[in-house]
Amino acid sequence: MRRRKKHFLFGVYDDFDKARDVVSELKVLDLKEMVVDGIELYSPIEHPEVEEILGEFHQPIQRFTFFGAITGACCAFLLVAAAAQAMFTVQPQGGKPVIPLPMDIVITYEGTIMFGVYSTIIAFLIYAGMPKRLKKYYTQKVSEDQIGVEVQVDPAKSDKARAVLEKCGALEIREVTQ
Amino acid sequence: MSDYSMKDIEWAKINRDVLASLESPRKEFWMVLSVCVLLVLCGAAAEAYQYNEGLGVALMNRPHFWQLYISNFVFWIGMSHSGTLLSAILLLTQADWRKPIYRFAEAMTLFSILTAAIFPVIHLGRVWNMYWVLPYPNERTIWPNFRSPLLWDAAAITTYATSSVLFLYIGMIPDLAICRDNATGWRKKLYTALSIGWMGRASEWMAFRKTYVLLACFLVPLAVSVHSIVASDFAMSIMPDWHITSFPPYFVAGALYSGCAAIITLFVLLRYVFKFEEYMTTEIMDKTAKLTFAIAMVWNYLNLGEYASIWYSNDMFEKEVLLEKFFGPYHWVVWGMLICALIAPFAMAFKKVRHNMWAMFWLSLVLQLGMWLERFQIVSPPLASNHEPWTWAVVWPGTVQLTITAASFGWFTMLFLIFCKVFPSVSMYEVKEMVFHRRKASSRTDMEDLSKVKDEMIKTEEGLS
Amino acid sequence: MTLKRMLENWSDLRKQDYYEDEPYMWGMSIDLNKCIGCGSCVTACYAENNLPAVGKEHYSTGHAMHWMRIERYWEEPEGEADIDIKDSDYPERGAHYTPMMCQQCNHAPCEPVCPVAATYHTPDGLNAQVYNRCVGSRYCGNNCPYKVRYFNFFDFLKDVPHPLEMQLNPDVSVRTKGVMEKCTFCVQRIRSAKDAAEDEGHRDYIEDGSFKTACQQTCPTEAIVFGNLKDEESQVKKLWASHEVELNHFEQDKSEDVRGYRVLEELNVEPCVMYLDRVRDTEA
Repeated sequence: MRRRKKHFLFGVYDDFDKARDVVSELKVLDLKEMVVDGIELYSPIEHPEVEEILGEFHQPIQRFTFFGAITGACCAFLLVAAAAQAMFTVQPQGGKPVIPLPMDIVITYEGTIMFGVYSTIIAFLIYAGMPKRLKKYYTQKVSEDQIGVEVQVDPAKSDKARAVLEKCGALEIREVTQ
Repeated sequence: MSDYSMKDIEWAKINRDVLASLESPRKEFWMVLSVCVLLVLCGAAAEAYQYNEGLGVALMNRPHFWQLYISNFVFWIGMSHSGTLLSAILLLTQADWRKPIYRFAEAMTLFSILTAAIFPVIHLGRVWNMYWVLPYPNERTIWPNFRSPLLWDAAAITTYATSSVLFLYIGMIPDLAICRDNATGWRKKLYTALSIGWMGRASEWMAFRKTYVLLACFLVPLAVSVHSIVASDFAMSIMPDWHITSFPPYFVAGALYSGCAAIITLFVLLRYVFKFEEYMTTEIMDKTAKLTFAIAMVWNYLNLGEYASIWYSNDMFEKEVLLEKFFGPYHWVVWGMLICALIAPFAMAFKKVRHNMWAMFWLSLVLQLGMWLERFQIVSPPLASNHEPWTWAVVWPGTVQLTITAASFGWFTMLFLIFCKVFPSVSMYEVKEMVFHRRKASSRTDMEDLSKVKDEMIKTEEGLS
Repeated sequence: MTLKRMLENWSDLRKQDYYEDEPYMWGMSIDLNKCIGCGSCVTACYAENNLPAVGKEHYSTGHAMHWMRIERYWEEPEGEADIDIKDSDYPERGAHYTPMMCQQCNHAPCEPVCPVAATYHTPDGLNAQVYNRCVGSRYCGNNCPYKVRYFNFFDFLKDVPHPLEMQLNPDVSVRTKGVMEKCTFCVQRIRSAKDAAEDEGHRDYIEDGSFKTACQQTCPTEAIVFGNLKDEESQVKKLWASHEVELNHFEQDKSEDVRGYRVLEELNVEPCVMYLDRVRDTEA
């Protein structure tokens, strides 16, 4: 099966509020004519309010963190407890039991954090979709002070979307099919 | 609202200013860097000599099995603390004055861990066998001893080093993307690889923010645990004046203290060298100084409280060591520490000092000297007067140890200098965020003012009618 | 597999006194009233255990390797610096000797701090040091309250002039630089005695006095007694009992005329060496 080509429009704006207007207008357009397949915002800083515009992101990173941390705790404890008695000569030291629980707490603690951090990073890479190549229409302006709006549209109806982008004061519009 | 005198800076200017700091270095940079490299080479020569001859050339002996290497280790680990810990705490409490200063503070963390990590290695009697400390499966079923505080150290430092590298790196990705967009040549390749395709998409930003906060949640307890574990090297032992219950919190406070002092030093230098006056403002210095002062007071309290507990318990050995500390052969170290680290911080109670950059610079150096002496007096005097009077001996660190100590400062400075020229030492995107939110907030207050005026007009109208 | 073994033996591994049922625990008794401070035990130890004679210079910088050392304490009457005073009531005042070596503590503080598990407790109650495994972190040396662990700060025995290497004891390894070492209670002699006992068919019993440690063998006044503390009939056990020193007690209830004590007993490190001395009131 041949992959359907995707058609992207990329508009650049100098203000976050303009980008917000574009997104809401595109949504209105989408309700009417079903042209938009996906919208994404590109910005130089974080805007916590994008969830209100683009809808909620499903990124359960904290679940990775939680289970990573629990795995870490178990692994670390098993490692220390097993290593203590796996010695070729079982080693009682300082008149204490071979598997001393109070001492193992420290390593368990560190293991929890270590695995927690690593699994969080892995989750970040998964949900941020990284590493990846730069998009063709990516412009360095969006890492400086401008906002980019990426719209994936039905190629046949891209004119309408383009009109919306222009209406809201786009500084530049790039169109790419891939 | 005018908490900070940071003006409404153009975003493009932020990029320009910070990226300018990465441009080809001046002659002075190469001069300082070559001095550092020279120091590192001297240290390497000293280490080679010690490697071949044995640790005796470092003038350690029985009972001074540990000396400057360990106190340097504690010093550098301590310095590594404030960077990541403060950055994480200030992130979680949403104190936005952290934004212009956290990047170099975290870099400082990383490089002081890298410096600290050298010391336990060169301190070993058989350096070539140091990998035995790692828990790797082998056919003889020999494992390291996880009961030992040194192994806890190894675990904690590995966790801390990797976590703070990741914290620093994750926090730097958007800035690396900016660098990538503006760089050419080898830098372009480096930044493209490191920024792993960051384009500032909304989904990236959301995942980024979540990850960043989660990491900060881990780093706060982690940083506390790291230095309390370093304290455990001493507190878990049986030695008088090492075996002290209050050591872990005392070490954590001391670590934050010396780390904050180091932040102040680098703050002033970066502000001066890179002309970051607009970002690293006097107000931020004021806040940092206040924080340092508060931490200094915590440290003071724990330090003096420790003396009180020894006085109260009247333990024969501990009292002996305490008296030896104050009046014995190491007395000038202890008194020097008390003057530099206990009395000097009170200067920060004055606004004039807090607002004077160079006064803060010299003060921070004095504080660090005090904290370095503090680490020495933790390690050496208790060994000099231990349980067994027949072995009492006073030993001062020799040339080899001092050379390696000097080399460690050179090593740290070298790494930090290279970092400053390769990576942006001020977080561009977060300063932009700060500017953005402030602009928005100020426009909102304008609107609130308008609505107040409107309300009043309505009221007067009602009154008139 | 490891995991299964661990779970099966869990209660054993959590037990305080892991070697409770072992037939041996080596112990010593040193009578300080018999000790004349001649230092022959020190010499014997040097010869037996391949200790390097480090020379004057290294000795003065604190790098000496004497596993067994004679600590000399000089007692002065309170308040008077002059030691030549006529003090006929207390003729024993003056030099005071304590032979000091590894006390083979049952709760040894040096053991758990080793990062690579180079020191551990053997089933016969010895505090073993595995030279091959040691990486030289020297934590054990710091944590030893008696400071009887010795570190090879240099490669002392590297360049022994030719015929002298012939005098090294073949039963004892020669340590290189960067390794911690200490008194072993002449473990090589213990091992060969055990082997001999096994050959004779009694693995769990070595006749008391059938072998001696080097220091014990050389002591001209027989101040040092060595043996198995778990053997009720052994001389050292009897001495411990008669001087009312017991393991697992750090506050001994003493009758008037017994002299036994263990050095730094109050630290609860459970040393296996008992010293005999009349504790005197120096201020009297």
